[in-house]
Amino acid sequence: MEILKIEFLKLRKKTRIWLGPILVFWLIMIAYPLTVELLQDRLQIGFFSVLWIAILISMMLATEDIFTEDYNDGSLEQTIIQESSFQVGIGLKVFVYWFLIGIPVSLLSFIFSFGTTQNFELSLPIFPLSLISSYIFLNIFVLGNSLSLNKGSVLGALVTMPIALPVLIVLGKGMTALQFDINFESFILLLLGSLSIIIVLIPIVVSYIIKAHLE
Amino acid sequence: MIKKFIHQFASPKTFLLQVERSYSFIFFTSLCIYVFSIVWGLLFTPEDFVQGNSYRIMYLHVPASFLSQSLYIAMAVSSVTYLIWRVKLAAYLVIAIAPIGAMTTFIALISGSIWGIPTWGTWWQWDARITSTLILFIMYLGLISLHNSFSNYEKADKLLSWLVIVGAVNIPIIKKSVDWWSTLHQSASITLTEKPSIDPVMLYPLIGAIIGFFGLIVCLILMSSKNQIFIREKNKSWVKDYV
Repeated sequence: MEILKIEFLKLRKKTRIWLGPILVFWLIMIAYPLTVELLQDRLQIGFFSVLWIAILISMMLATEDIFTEDYNDGSLEQTIIQESSFQVGIGLKVFVYWFLIGIPVSLLSFIFSFGTTQNFELSLPIFPLSLISSYIFLNIFVLGNSLSLNKGSVLGALVTMPIALPVLIVLGKGMTALQFDINFESFILLLLGSLSIIIVLIPIVVSYIIKAHLE
Repeated sequence: MIKKFIHQFASPKTFLLQVERSYSFIFFTSLCIYVFSIVWGLLFTPEDFVQGNSYRIMYLHVPASFLSQSLYIAMAVSSVTYLIWRVKLAAYLVIAIAPIGAMTTFIALISGSIWGIPTWGTWWQWDARITSTLILFIMYLGLISLHNSFSNYEKADKLLSWLVIVGAVNIPIIKKSVDWWSTLHQSASITLTEKPSIDPVMLYPLIGAIIGFFGLIVCLILMSSKNQIFIREKNKSWVKDYV
């Protein structure tokens, strides 16, 4: 609980890190209607694709410096030496990022979805889908950033983006299922199943990767 | 027991000696099988009822596609071996396989595109199998760039191994993409559990092409691993004696 509190306070103080990705998401969603000037009545057609990509990009930006500061000031080393459960610390760190960035982005997703489609029934499932997908993306990009800890975030994004793409495919199929009303819940369950595995495995893998960096 | 076996037979020195002994045999046998199968497939098999002669590109496309996924699995197994048993040779194999895996995936994509023009009427379709294979190709490039970005080989090997293991999640997706999604790409014609849906006249040269291509790629991997050993172990006395 203490770690959670510390991580929360640390991130809350860094306004640029948690507010930046939310604003970028907002800007992408605002920019989308501007690019389809003559097809305003058909905004819905590409809306969900833009939404998922905007979530992906904002989560990528959110994790940009997730370990950099701790690595540079030596606190990562200290944590490894002191704590018996380094993995739990990483898991909680990701959770805090999701809480401060993923949840607002998911709320905005629902608002933008409703604003664009004017369809409450279609927009409501966007909220849980965004919640789950943003958490999955965060975990994947945290893995990428741990790999490229002192080599810049572009490399991390490059090597982990292919792992995130299947999630985009599932989201796309989920939206098709939702629009045609065919077994949409199974996609939510599939994503939840993936998340439950990722949420356990990624912190473990990341902890080993960080240890490899510090050895 | 497994650990003892691995450490005994996977020392770079023993591996090099084994490569020296078996390389020529594997290379010439594979080359003969591949050339024989290709000639058989291109010149002596009948025209396809629907696709005409264009189907013959499968003697390159199928082996390349099969290997693009198999090589990733080989990398994942080597990565696990390296991380658990700390076998250096396994780490050398991972980075030796990566560019060859990228090359076979590229061949699979290009030959598939060429085959797609007369068969589907398009060289590219954002179809599940093709897109997932493209993702695999990008993954290979990502793995190579990750390894190249570190000057400390040991660190690079560890990071690469972890990424390979996590990325292995894409392999079942690629394999099953034709079953899970409605795609333009056909389902697998050869499976372990069912009778092949392809005519034996075309099947036998195809199996020969797969075996031959596999052998040639194994030779490439052996050469690439040999290079890795020379680079990494260049300061060891036995390497100096060997060279």
